[in-house]
Amino acid sequence: MLSVTMLALAGQLLGAAMPLASGTDVEHGRPSATSAEQSGDQSGDQAQPPVTFDPTRFDSLTALSLRSFLDSAAEQGLPLGPLINRALEGAARRVSGARIMQVVRAHAAAMAEARAILGPTTPVADLDAAATALRAGVDEKALSAIRTSRPVGSVVIPLMVLTDIVQRGVPIIAARDAVTTIARMPSSDDALKGLQAAVAKNSVRGPGMAVDALNRYLRGTVSGGNPPSAPATTDRKPIRPPSP
Amino acid sequence: MVPRHDASGTRSMRALATFAVAASTAIGSSLDAQSMGNAPIAPASAIGPATGRPTFSVLGLASSNEGSDASITPRSEIWMGATHPLGQVGRVRFSAIGKGDVRARETAGASSAVDGMLALRARARVGGAQVWSAVSYGYVNVSGSGAAGAAALAPALGTGFDGARVDTTVSRRVDIGNISRAEAGVLSSVSGVEFSFGFSVERASRVTTQTVTIDEQNGLPPIAPLAGQTASTRVTRSLQRRDIASGVASMGFNTGPTTWLVSVTSPIASWITSDALAPKARVAPAVASLAVVQPVTAWLSVVGAASTNSATVGSTALRDDLGAGRNRSFAPVIALGVRLSRLPFFGRGDDTPSGILGFETRTIGSVDSLNVTSTFAAVDSAVLAPDDRDTLRVLLLIDAPKAERVELMGDATQWTVTQMTRNRNGKWRAELKLAPGVHRITVRTDGGKWIAPPNLPIGNDDYGSPVGMIVVKGAR
Repeated sequence: MLSVTMLALAGQLLGAAMPLASGTDVEHGRPSATSAEQSGDQSGDQAQPPVTFDPTRFDSLTALSLRSFLDSAAEQGLPLGPLINRALEGAARRVSGARIMQVVRAHAAAMAEARAILGPTTPVADLDAAATALRAGVDEKALSAIRTSRPVGSVVIPLMVLTDIVQRGVPIIAARDAVTTIARMPSSDDALKGLQAAVAKNSVRGPGMAVDALNRYLRGTVSGGNPPSAPATTDRKPIRPPSP
Repeated sequence: MVPRHDASGTRSMRALATFAVAASTAIGSSLDAQSMGNAPIAPASAIGPATGRPTFSVLGLASSNEGSDASITPRSEIWMGATHPLGQVGRVRFSAIGKGDVRARETAGASSAVDGMLALRARARVGGAQVWSAVSYGYVNVSGSGAAGAAALAPALGTGFDGARVDTTVSRRVDIGNISRAEAGVLSSVSGVEFSFGFSVERASRVTTQTVTIDEQNGLPPIAPLAGQTASTRVTRSLQRRDIASGVASMGFNTGPTTWLVSVTSPIASWITSDALAPKARVAPAVASLAVVQPVTAWLSVVGAASTNSATVGSTALRDDLGAGRNRSFAPVIALGVRLSRLPFFGRGDDTPSGILGFETRTIGSVDSLNVTSTFAAVDSAVLAPDDRDTLRVLLLIDAPKAERVELMGDATQWTVTQMTRNRNGKWRAELKLAPGVHRITVRTDGGKWIAPPNLPIGNDDYGSPVGMIVVKGAR
C-alpha cells in the first residue's frame, strides 16, 4: 500500500517536473500562441474558456499519458479545452484511465477530421460540436452540407441539433436534410431549437414517431404554416400495423 | 463490558454504563454515524440515507489505546451498518438504519460483545432547513471472564462482602442491555457548511449477572461453605437503569469527489433522572473525528475514519469500562472499510433518474432554455473582470421539488460536483460563469444516476451517461 502511494506520488512529481513541449500551454487547455499560429487556429481560441489540466485528477500513469497526448495535439493545432474536458469528465465519472485515453483520442481525431471538413479557421465551439456530431454517427457529407447551408457564422446550433436528433433515432439522411433546410433560413436558430424539441418530445414513443414529428415540423416550418415556437408535434397514439 | 484485570479495570467495572450510552448517543454519533451515514450532519447526509439508496458499510475498527493507567489493551472489532429507504409520505422520507458491532474474545479474560441497534428515521425539509427525527432500539450482550483480585468489587455489587478480607474473583459476567432512544434535530446549511442541532432522550437498562468465586482461606466466608470445600461461588444479578437527555451540536462540510468528514461534537447538556450506579456521570468529552469517503466506482467507496476517543465507537452501549480517567483521555481509534451503495438484494434502489421535472437557464435579465444569448446590458459587468467581458453569469434552475439534494457537474465546473441550492419556490439553482461556447452539463438528484438535464440537446455518451449541451453566444 505504501509502495503504491509512493509510486503514485513519484509519478505526480515526475509529471509536474516534465518539461512541456515547446509552445504548449497544457495547464490552461489551449495551444500557445506559437502552436496556434502554426495551425492557423486563431479565431475560436479566445471564445473558449481556459480549461485547467489538473494532473492530480488522474492517476499518475493516465496523467502522464494525457500530458503527452495533449502536447502532440497542441502541436497539431487542436484546441485542448474540449480534450481536457473529456478527460476531466472521465475522471469525475471514475472510469479507467484507458477509457479516458480512448475517449480523448477519439475526440481529438474527430476534431481533426472536422477541421479538415469545415476549414482551418473554424472556431473551437464549432469544431467541438462537429467532432461530437461525427462521433455520434453523422457523416462527412452531413457536415459539409451544414457548412454549405451556413457559409458564414456559427454552425454550433445546427450541429448540436443534428447530433441530438440522430441520437434520438432519426436517420442521418432525414436529419441532415431537415437541419440543412432549416439552417438556410434566416435567423433559423430558433426554428432549429423547435425541431430539436419536437423530435425529443416524440422520440420517447419510438424512432418512427420521432421521424414523423420531424417531417411534420419541417413541413410546417418551411411552408410557414406553423411558427417555430409552435412546433407541429403530435400527441396522437402511435399507429400500429394491422395484425396478420 | 467485562472488567479489566487490574485495579483500574476493576474500577471501570463500576463505571457508568449509561455514561457510555450517552457517549454513543451524543458524542459517539460522530464516527459510527458518519461512516454509516446517519449522523445529522452534512457529510453524513451526503453518503447516507439522504441518497435514497440502500447502503451497506463494513469497517474494521482498531484502537491503539484502549485502556488507561498501566493497562493498554488492544481492541479490534468489526462494525457493520446498513441503511435502506422505506418510502415517502408527503414530504417526509423514512429510512431504516441498522448497525451491528461484533467484538470477538481475544484472550482469556477478555470480553466478547454483540451490539445491535435498529432505528427508524424520518427526514423532511421545512423551508431551507431539514428536520429529522428518529426512534431507536438497541440490544447489547457482553460476556466474558472476570477479573481476579477484585477487591473493590464487593461494594459495587452490593453484596456486603468485606473486600479487604475476602479474595474474590469474578469468574463470569454477562451484561444484557436495552436502549430506547428518541431524537430530533434540525439541519441547516450556511455557505456550504451544514450545522445540526439535535436533542435526544434515552433510557438504558442493564441486567448484569456475575458469578463470584470466593476463596475462603483469606477471610471469613460470607456464606456457609459446603463441607470439604475452601471456595464457594455466588451468582448475583443486578438491574441498573438511567435516563439521559442530551443535546448535540455538530457541523460538517465536504469538498470535491472525495468526501472529507470532519466533525467535532460536544454535548451541550446532559442530566440524569435516575441513577443506580456510581460514580456519577461526568461531562462527556468532546470528540473530534475525521472520516474520508473515497468513491472507487459508482457504487463502491472506501471509508476511512478516525476518532479521538475509542470509547465512542462500537460496542459502546452499556459499556462500563469507561473509567473515570479514561473518558477524558486521548484514546484514538481508526477504522477502515468499504461502503456499498448498490446492494444486489435490494434491486436498483434509487438509480432511476426521477424527480427532475424541468431545467432552464437564465442570464441576468433574460431567459432561455437552450440558447443563452449574451448582451452586455444583461450582464452585471461590475462583477466581471475586463478579460471576462464575454463571460455570462448564468443561472441554472432545476425543478425537482421532491429532491433533497441536487448536484451538477460539467465543463463549467471543471467536472467537479457542485451542490445546487434550493429556492423557496422549490426549484434548485446554481449560478455559473459561462464563457461563449458549448458547455456540457449533467445533473443528478439525491446521489442517483447522472442524467442530461431535460429539454437540453444531448451530446455524446462517452462514459455511459449522456450529457446535456448548453450554448452560450458571445457578443463578439
